[in-house]
Amino acid sequence: MRGNYGNPEENTISEPGWTEYGPFELSPERSRFGLTYSLVENGSFHFSVPVARFILPDLGFHNGHYVSLFAPGVSFLTIPGYLVGKAVSISQVGAYATIALFALINALLVKALAEKLGAHPKAAFIASIMFLFATPGFAYAVSLYQHQISVFYILLSLYAIVNWHSFWSAATVWFLSAASISIDYPNFFMMLPLMIFTLLRLIRVKAIEKNMTINLNLKGILAMVTMLIPIAFFLWSNFRSFGNPFQLAGTVQDVREIDEKGLPVVEKFDAASTLSISQETRIEKSTFVFFKTRNILRGLAVHLISPDRGVIFYTPVVLFGIFGAAILNKKRPKITALLLSIIGINLILYSMWGDPWGGWAFGSRYLIPSYAMLSIFSATAVSRMRQSKILLAIFFFILSYSIAVNALGAITTNSLPPKEEAIILEQTSKKEEKYTFVRNWDYLNTQGSKSFVFNQFAKGLLGAREYYFLITLPIIASAGISLVSLKLAGKSQITKKI
Amino acid sequence: MNLKISNFLLTITLSTKYLEVFQRYLRRRALLLITALLSIIAAASFLIYLQNGLGLAYNDARSHLDIGRRVVEGLKPGLAQLGSVWLPLPHLLMIPTVWNDFMWHSGLSGALQSMIAFVATGLIIYLFLKNIKVGLLGRFFAVLIFTSNLNILYLQSTAMTELLILAAMMAGAYYLMLWHKDDNLLYLIKSAFFIMLSTVTRYDGWFLLFIATILVVVNVWRKQGYKATEGTVILFTALGALGIVLWFLWNLLIFNDPLYFAFGPFSAHAQQSQIYEAGDLLTKGNLPLSIKIYTYALIYNSYAFNALFGLFGALLLWSDRKLKPAVRLSTLALVTPLLFNVLALYLGHSVLFIQGQITGNTWFNVRYGMMFMPAIAIFSGFLVDRIKNLRWVIIGLFSLFTFFAFASSDAVTIDDALVGSSQKNVTEVSGWLNENAADEEGFVLISAASHDAVIFSSGLPMKRFIHEGTGEYWESATTAPDRWARWIVMRTHDTNDLTFKLVSNSPGFEKFELVDHYPFADIYQLKPEYLSRLHTEPVL
Repeated sequence: MRGNYGNPEENTISEPGWTEYGPFELSPERSRFGLTYSLVENGSFHFSVPVARFILPDLGFHNGHYVSLFAPGVSFLTIPGYLVGKAVSISQVGAYATIALFALINALLVKALAEKLGAHPKAAFIASIMFLFATPGFAYAVSLYQHQISVFYILLSLYAIVNWHSFWSAATVWFLSAASISIDYPNFFMMLPLMIFTLLRLIRVKAIEKNMTINLNLKGILAMVTMLIPIAFFLWSNFRSFGNPFQLAGTVQDVREIDEKGLPVVEKFDAASTLSISQETRIEKSTFVFFKTRNILRGLAVHLISPDRGVIFYTPVVLFGIFGAAILNKKRPKITALLLSIIGINLILYSMWGDPWGGWAFGSRYLIPSYAMLSIFSATAVSRMRQSKILLAIFFFILSYSIAVNALGAITTNSLPPKEEAIILEQTSKKEEKYTFVRNWDYLNTQGSKSFVFNQFAKGLLGAREYYFLITLPIIASAGISLVSLKLAGKSQITKKI
Repeated sequence: MNLKISNFLLTITLSTKYLEVFQRYLRRRALLLITALLSIIAAASFLIYLQNGLGLAYNDARSHLDIGRRVVEGLKPGLAQLGSVWLPLPHLLMIPTVWNDFMWHSGLSGALQSMIAFVATGLIIYLFLKNIKVGLLGRFFAVLIFTSNLNILYLQSTAMTELLILAAMMAGAYYLMLWHKDDNLLYLIKSAFFIMLSTVTRYDGWFLLFIATILVVVNVWRKQGYKATEGTVILFTALGALGIVLWFLWNLLIFNDPLYFAFGPFSAHAQQSQIYEAGDLLTKGNLPLSIKIYTYALIYNSYAFNALFGLFGALLLWSDRKLKPAVRLSTLALVTPLLFNVLALYLGHSVLFIQGQITGNTWFNVRYGMMFMPAIAIFSGFLVDRIKNLRWVIIGLFSLFTFFAFASSDAVTIDDALVGSSQKNVTEVSGWLNENAADEEGFVLISAASHDAVIFSSGLPMKRFIHEGTGEYWESATTAPDRWARWIVMRTHDTNDLTFKLVSNSPGFEKFELVDHYPFADIYQLKPEYLSRLHTEPVL
């Protein structure tokens, strides 16, 4: 986990030790932590000027107040972690630990779901390792982003669907679907297949002779009242932030600069000048802010094959999930269709997004929900592949590569520019600006690690590179041991089901 | 119907006969339903684009309308006005309506055939799938893919030729498939007829004729040997190639050269030669780039995922053993737009610019990517029918990106028309003419090849213009402009503009003064002292 010792205060929070060289390297983290800080320390949805300066450049201004441009859910969920951490002088680490906790639960959910869908338990374990450590989900489990929480809502809903067939299953899905919007607005679309699936499960159609009977489970429909709680919270937080329950965070005026008097400087966005102010600022953000089908081609290329973000470079191991989906489709077609529709929506939605790179980021962070689904599918694929040593060896090789790449991101930085920005940056910095995970390797060798554990406890004992190997090798080894034991294990009853 | 609530369970009991009646009705009346719905969509789209002023954004649309109009109105009306720049069917179809000023200037005269073709293509998609054993859902889904594409909706609302050829090609491919399926010669004749129509609409049809002939040869040869093949091919091409033969004949009769359309001064070849000389025809001789550029156009027109669905559907169709091999083979006819466009780019017969790509920072002819949409629709319908487990996933994902396509008004064909090389802002020149020449006597000397959009947008009747197609008027006016033209519209110092080329060295040209200068053309007016000797009435 990334972090520093101490409780950041308004007068220290913007220091480079916390920002550029610390855990708040990018504005999404700063903005979410800033809101947590404001809520706890100032009891307000509005930012004080020092906190607003800390959050720049992704800062909103509405009705004379500095406000967040991000959905508020993450900031609320990290409050307990912040408070616990504050008690032992690591409030930032406490807040970040919340995300790590969600990531761990997600890994357990991946394992549970994979097993439930018929994968060998050891294959399911490998799938959970895969999601946790071999995808960019790793880098976003140790920093303050919404992705792991969004995935948790999806996985928990899936778990409810797969395990329960009752009122509680429907209630869970309705509740989580509504709650997910406060985490990230596009979650509405991501949860849509789960809601439709749940709704259709409440309807049973039977043909008996010349009659057709349609049974509608009214309990499941009534369970929709559980949506009211998160919706009420969402409207309340909007009201407190913007004075209007229906105003969304991303739609308010954004501020890129604050003057000496603490007032916002609202200027027309200028890519070149912004680059000099803040390297993580996204060129695309002000140009494309909506989902547009025109962007699909570029978006797909960025997410799948680009060297700066592409799945094939960062986490090729998840592609085994495609084979798993094909296998699972024959045995569990409905659940397979559900998982595939989540992947499809994820891919379509963020291919249309004006900034598919996710700003300065590590890998394709928007596809983290898809990595979780593909990990579940991969468990099925691995269960099948266990009959072939060669296939398992290939899988292990690609898994190891993916772990090595993503561990690099997790213990160093998420601050990788898109290729296009790197080229522009080169013109101003007059040096080579790398835009792939090689930049992380350079960071590791020159600046070390942003890991809290490393900086607090291990720095004097070993170098950052040794720390990287110390983290990575055991993960790879445990995956390898699991694969070997999977190969050695006899055919279990569960595998036969596949 | 019976309703019952007990223990939080609402039970509705229905007699299945209602469902059966509904299904039967849907099956029986599907064509009527599609015709009605698509007609409403076609008319509504036309009205929307007419109202927002985009209906005639393509300069080519205005030129098409002018060609049709010149047949019925002008200084030298007649069929010869069909010219050689474009194939004649779209303009021939305008003749019954284009005489009316509203039909001409609203573009409805040209759009009407596009609209009818749009409805017809929707019907053919439905019938095509029905005949390869695709269920109702797959058929309706395919029609939906075709009709819910903003590029299709835009082009069916304008006086362009794409929708017309799509309908003709699809009808040709449809009957060709039926012939492969049933060996009924009547289907082959129908196929030849529609392919013949496509050959006189756009040159894409010529390639379809070529491919279709190969398919006919393969099919008959396999079943009946050489002799039957010879007879069938003669029968097929006698009708299928009739349009092409007549087109050669037309060019010979009117322009004294059967290949005038191909190599004449206004041909696509001449246009491409200029682009090539300017170093912008990068796809010529470069197959990977040709494939890439056309793929981009295809993807931009189809919102990418439709193309992916189509690809999977095509692979599934070609490997489906439930269909006769001959039927599967016949569906290759659907792929001809893809092959044709790539080949045309590779050979340098066509030009296509994609914004942001190597071909430049503009759009040009990106609408060609839309030519593959009916095939994508058919293959996608097949996919939805065959992949039963995932059909609702596909339909759901389609709904999602189509929703966003409409939400973001994503029609690359409109950009192609508005910001690309297809667009010229002629409103200043045409506005000047409308303001200063409409109520005055005298002719306007102008090259229709260069400024047809100006002629159209000026709002002046065609008979006020002396252009290349006006025979003696043109010859006289370019020799002695001061006797025949009160105004000259041309691009000064541009020898591609025939008016400038012929008039600039004429002594009479000195009697004109430059009255306005615009990016796309300059306007010259005869000095007042020479007006007395000017012809202002048609006398030749």
